[in-house]
Amino acid sequence: MSPRSTRRRLGVALVAVAAAATLALSGCSSNSTSTSSSGTTSITMFTGQVGNFTENFNPLNNTGAYLPQTNGAIYEPLFYYNKARAGKPVPLLGTSYSWNSDGTQLTVKVRQGVKWSNGKPETADDVVYSLNLISNNAALNTSGVKWVAKKTADDTVVITFPTTSFTLEPQVLGNEPIVPESIWKKISDPTKVTNTEPVGTGPYMLKSFTPQSYVLEKNPHYWGTGASAPKVDQVRTISLANADAATSALQAGKTDYMGAFLPTLKNIMAKNKNLSYSNSPQATTALFTCENAALGCTGPQTDVAVRQAMYYAMDRTQLDKQAAAGFSAPASPSLVLNTVNKAQITSPKYMEVPQKANVAKAKKLLEADGWKLGSNGYYAKDGQELDLSINVVSGWTDYDTICQLLQGQFKAAGIKLTVNQMAQNAWTQSESTGKFQMSMNSVNMGVSSDPYFQYNNYLSTSATAPVGQPAKSTNTSRYSNPSVDAAIKKLATTNDDSVKQAAYKTIQDQIVKDMPYVPVYVNSALAEYNNTRATGWPTQSNQYAFPLPWGGNWGMGIVLKTIRPVK
Amino acid sequence: MRFYLQKIAFYVVALWAAVTLNFLIPRLMPGNPVDIMISKMAAAGQPITAGTRHALAIELGGSSGSILQQYGDYIVNLLHGNLGISLTNYPEQVTTVIGQALPWTIALVGLATVISFILGIGLGMLAGWKRGSWLDNLIPVTTMFQAVPYFWLALILVLVLTRVVPIFPFAGGYDVTSTTPGFSLSFIGSAIYYGFLPALTIVISSIGGWMLGMRNMMVSTLSEDYIVTAEAKGLNPRRVRMTYAARNAVLPSLSGFAISLGFVVAGSIVTEQVFSYPGIGQLLFTAVSNDDYALMQGVFLVISLSVLAANLVVDVLYGLIDPRTRARS
Repeated sequence: MSPRSTRRRLGVALVAVAAAATLALSGCSSNSTSTSSSGTTSITMFTGQVGNFTENFNPLNNTGAYLPQTNGAIYEPLFYYNKARAGKPVPLLGTSYSWNSDGTQLTVKVRQGVKWSNGKPETADDVVYSLNLISNNAALNTSGVKWVAKKTADDTVVITFPTTSFTLEPQVLGNEPIVPESIWKKISDPTKVTNTEPVGTGPYMLKSFTPQSYVLEKNPHYWGTGASAPKVDQVRTISLANADAATSALQAGKTDYMGAFLPTLKNIMAKNKNLSYSNSPQATTALFTCENAALGCTGPQTDVAVRQAMYYAMDRTQLDKQAAAGFSAPASPSLVLNTVNKAQITSPKYMEVPQKANVAKAKKLLEADGWKLGSNGYYAKDGQELDLSINVVSGWTDYDTICQLLQGQFKAAGIKLTVNQMAQNAWTQSESTGKFQMSMNSVNMGVSSDPYFQYNNYLSTSATAPVGQPAKSTNTSRYSNPSVDAAIKKLATTNDDSVKQAAYKTIQDQIVKDMPYVPVYVNSALAEYNNTRATGWPTQSNQYAFPLPWGGNWGMGIVLKTIRPVK
Repeated sequence: MRFYLQKIAFYVVALWAAVTLNFLIPRLMPGNPVDIMISKMAAAGQPITAGTRHALAIELGGSSGSILQQYGDYIVNLLHGNLGISLTNYPEQVTTVIGQALPWTIALVGLATVISFILGIGLGMLAGWKRGSWLDNLIPVTTMFQAVPYFWLALILVLVLTRVVPIFPFAGGYDVTSTTPGFSLSFIGSAIYYGFLPALTIVISSIGGWMLGMRNMMVSTLSEDYIVTAEAKGLNPRRVRMTYAARNAVLPSLSGFAISLGFVVAGSIVTEQVFSYPGIGQLLFTAVSNDDYALMQGVFLVISLSVLAANLVVDVLYGLIDPRTRARS
């Protein structure tokens, strides 16, 4: 091949590429701003997913691998339990329910006239089938309790439990999707399907899927009418890599509904009048301490006076301002939310943690316990310096900031804090197996706003394990207190409010004294909306559903059917 | 023939080593998928009971048996093209997940690397041929872009070209609202438009190396005796530049190019993060942060295979281009 012809060919190729690129550029920039075609109304969501979507609409999957709208928008449970505020569950496929007196039988009235998105009728048989499917499959039954559902009339289903199970109510009624028997009975292993042609009763159904975007459309057979019927024709979901891209998308009007922590949110809102947001703080950020020496914890944090001193040494106003951009809410030492669960906090003293540091009180607590201030400014006892380490996931910038600020705040109270920034895997593992002194994490709500779930998962002896073994649930502090265990058991076996209130008091008195989790603040949960294409989004004062577009949040379906297009 | 057999034998051993390391490395990392899943579920407010851990352990299965047994299963599955099930995308096959991401990375990073190489070599050649011309001044500029941290350069370009002057889109692989993937003009046009800015950042940040290397090789080749001979024969200067000087000067760059082609598949995690590009770099990032061993192994395997394959191809081509490497001493 002669060099001349090589060069000429290369030249031609380059020109061709350049021409193609210019053509493409001019061709696309003109239509890139166009919105949906005329007549159909459409909104775009960002659910926090990065990279390509994997097509999975299996509502029974426990691993959270299904696409977020599966549960809520495509499939529905019997009732919706709104975690954003206290109140009665919202009837969906069920219309009412009642317990027998000892909490072993739950009778549910099932909505009549409901159709699947393929037009076939949904009946009480489907409800019975769905509930028993979960109960009988060890890989699906996350509660570990086997119940039996039975149809007793065309509109009535009775669910029988082996023991008193009041606390399973939100799980069974509010967290189990109802699936069509005609389709699922043909599936041999429901955990191993991706269900790419979902048929549900929810307000939306799948229209089209590509790995970078998928579209849901209104379910024409939806049972709801008027206010509870879906009004926006199409819902598109896109994927973005990170918060920067999400910020750009929000400002450019490319997303209408998303849930991301954006530190500059107030600025963005001030500049863009068509945007709005809501904040639904749910998770209490706390210093998780490995507190129980009897189960193998070691370190100064096993001393209750040290935990109490840390509680008072924190300047939470500064933490809120610098780590949470002012979006956090004050925590309660009772570990439940003083917004949603105000009625269950048994003493006004437990309503709110101190917002300003009280160094004198922290020092007094330590000195009363025998700690002596050394010449280097840190306390010591029996020759051991008060030196604590805290694990935090590097890259979780708000938590990293808290730890850095706490180093300074604790120093003022004579407590030395070492921060271990680590990868998420290592952090999870050390906390789960108890190989840590303190860990930055959050106490999360359970399946409903019932405080039972926080207390049972984070405080009961049955939810923990000795150091070295993974905690059975999320009680990683290794907290174990017989009177708390007894009170939690009482909560699980009664429906009587005065008995419950007494049990709450016992638990709260104990944990405020023992402080296994030192609360910092209630972390923000921000959802952002664009009001140009659709309105009726949740607002700060009207959180008709927990709005964050996460997988497993049934409230997303309620939001999507409530919003209405802007004409 | 012997030359090629030797090469192939070497690559078989290298392949085995890569496959074995690929098996071992994920197993040396801390954490296990069930714990990760539980902490994710707790954060999303899902109920966690003792039953949850049990159910997840059953659902996810996970590896069983001794490490040797696992290794045996792994090799057998590999030979069947079965890379297992991705935990983060449960119950999807790893091959499907990788298959979705791979074309994007190959197209974007691959094309950008080729463009950068061709431009860099071409400009370097000219700069070496005409020393002291204005092209020499371009070299410090391009090396400066290479010295600037890549993410910083990319972020600045994103800020300027998508926010301040919104010419380019800031995220994605194509315009999802107006077109669907397929062999249509609108999709390919959209993909080029969306890929232009990320490709530009890759070219800007890597062209300096090619240019500098080629220029300096060109300069030293031009002082060789055979160049003087060629000029003395009165050959056309263009012919001297291309067939005599450039063909010899490009050899070291070519082996560098082979290696960078292999790394195309590894993608550019940073590029894909900054531009929300749906490629293999993001996939790897997700896999690692979720302890998804099967997916990690799959991605590593594809990366090692492509590095080996690129090297094999260039080794063979090199033998053709440069006969000296074939000759026995």
